[in-house]
Amino acid sequence: MKRVPPLLFFVLFLTFFSCAEEQNFNQFNDLSVIPTVATSILYFESPEEVINDTNVSNFFMETYVFNAFSEDFVAERVLDGTIAYQIENTTSKELSLIVAFLDENDTVLDTEIFKIEAQPTVFLEQEVFYGAGGKNLDILRNTTSIRVTAENRGDNISESTVNDPKIILRSSATFRVQLQ
Amino acid sequence: MRKLRLCLCALLFGMGFLGAQNRQLIYDFYEIPQSLLLNPGVKTPYKWQFGVPIISGIAFQAGTSGVSVNDLFLNDGLDFTDKVRDRLVNSLSERDEFGGSGQIEVLNVGFRNKNRPNDYYSFGIYGEGLIAQYWPKDLAVLAFEGNANNLGRRFDLSHITTQGEVLNVFHFGINRKVNNSLTIGLRAKIYSSIFEYKSSNNEGFFETTAGENNTLRNTLVADVEFQTSGIREFLDILNDDSISAREELPNLFLKRAFFGGNLGLGADIGFTYHLNKNMVITGSLLDIGFINHTKDIESYSLRGSASNEGIEIVLPEALNDLNNNLWQNLIDDIETQIPFEANEDSFISLRPIKLNASIRYNFGNQKLKDDCYCGINAKNKRDGFDYKNALGAHLFVINKLKGPQAEFTAFYQTRIGKALAAKATYTANKFTFTNIGLGLNFQAGPVNFYILGDNLTGYQNIADSNYASLQFGFNIISWYK
Repeated sequence: MKRVPPLLFFVLFLTFFSCAEEQNFNQFNDLSVIPTVATSILYFESPEEVINDTNVSNFFMETYVFNAFSEDFVAERVLDGTIAYQIENTTSKELSLIVAFLDENDTVLDTEIFKIEAQPTVFLEQEVFYGAGGKNLDILRNTTSIRVTAENRGDNISESTVNDPKIILRSSATFRVQLQ
Repeated sequence: MRKLRLCLCALLFGMGFLGAQNRQLIYDFYEIPQSLLLNPGVKTPYKWQFGVPIISGIAFQAGTSGVSVNDLFLNDGLDFTDKVRDRLVNSLSERDEFGGSGQIEVLNVGFRNKNRPNDYYSFGIYGEGLIAQYWPKDLAVLAFEGNANNLGRRFDLSHITTQGEVLNVFHFGINRKVNNSLTIGLRAKIYSSIFEYKSSNNEGFFETTAGENNTLRNTLVADVEFQTSGIREFLDILNDDSISAREELPNLFLKRAFFGGNLGLGADIGFTYHLNKNMVITGSLLDIGFINHTKDIESYSLRGSASNEGIEIVLPEALNDLNNNLWQNLIDDIETQIPFEANEDSFISLRPIKLNASIRYNFGNQKLKDDCYCGINAKNKRDGFDYKNALGAHLFVINKLKGPQAEFTAFYQTRIGKALAAKATYTANKFTFTNIGLGLNFQAGPVNFYILGDNLTGYQNIADSNYASLQFGFNIISWYK
């Protein structure tokens, strides 16, 4: 009897015993990678002394270039998100902080206004949602600069009794980004 | 997206190469001349041998640890994103890897020295490729989940570990039968690198914590490097529409393969020793060597540390410094503190050293002369084989990017008649604990053919297999008569 050649043996072996369940590589198109990223955006701080030394009510107003949201990578992928603001006022006066979002033509796209009472009403938190059900994401996508305005709605002579009185604005952004 | 898809598919299929590079089926299976490449001190019962060019030795291995193609791409109706999250992102560790290795022999010639018949010389050329991609666990979690829900977690940049290369190897080996018990061997190698890339021993982390002033603080500490050699010219050809890639790529490939690229030196050493009539031990150290990369280098590094809490406006300082480009300053500061730099610095890459060790117990009717395992002293060609049946164990260790990796094999070897020898193996490694392999060697006159397949149980559902390996080849062998 003739011996079965090894190559034929292997081919027969693999033919009879090898198989694979049905695969669907098009599933890759369904992959959705959407991380939630968080970062601080803007920190503003002014001691009461500076507020008292400035005779005009708008003791600070400046516009800053801010391209974080209009960068292509972010603008094209951001789905929705929240900007969280924290305002802490330990001064003796009622103050307003205004954050305006401007496009490249310096047109104001949106404004956030925060009024905070004098100390001891010291803490204010506010979250602004962007996306479906919230503000239009295009506000952020088209923002190329932000204007920060600080307004003294009280007097220029009173002094807080707390140590090192200040007005502080903290802000951070938390957004869902579609990577894939 | 297409690139990402290609990358994932390449990873999962081990399209590159470097599983474990273990070739336990052919090790000490000395009916096959290619066993000399795994142990230059293996027994050599041949007068001369000549491998059929290109098809004398073809070996491919591919493996994944922790996940299989089936786990992700089975047409089971489950949500693909959920499968990726559950079976990759949340399951694999940074020690899991995808990859494989491959070797194609171009030339393999061996002959015995007429004046010193105890010496057997062999030389040849083979091409070799490998890829190893370790799962970048922390970066995958960062990409999938983001940092918002991972405050305080350090995403470890040392998880970035990858390697790939294609090279041509020119070798010349001397195998000497010292006495009837001991055979030793040495093989010298010249490596001609075609291309290589590597990123290993990286350090650093990305972390988001509560800020000192602002709400959040993002910190990046990085000491990361990605080295390449030989890749830029290939990419230039592919990106240049004015030249024919179909013509230029093979030319460049061949030029590099034959000493036109980065070169290196290496050596293999090995032995076979008969403890007694039935017991044989062997050992070899392969690829003790290096490649000196000086040409067509393009490497990238990211080194430094930086933290940021967004743009900061602090009065009264800001009143005197009305710089309205704080955002750009912030970016510039980060880029200064952690520069992403390209360089063309030469570098040396060490070859992945491999250790083989085995013990074999021979039994059955061996038809041998007393106190002789024969070889060149054989009276006929069958006397060159020192076993009828053999049982044994084989240890393989390879020094990889994340340290040594071991595999253990138990084997049974038998000779069936004059023409057929078979070897069956069970191997445990990080890819699988159910690896059953089978090798057959067929000798028809001077024509030798062998075929060896690993992880045969995986063929029941190849897509669900974590490891696959196949080797085959043709040789012409002249035995002592």
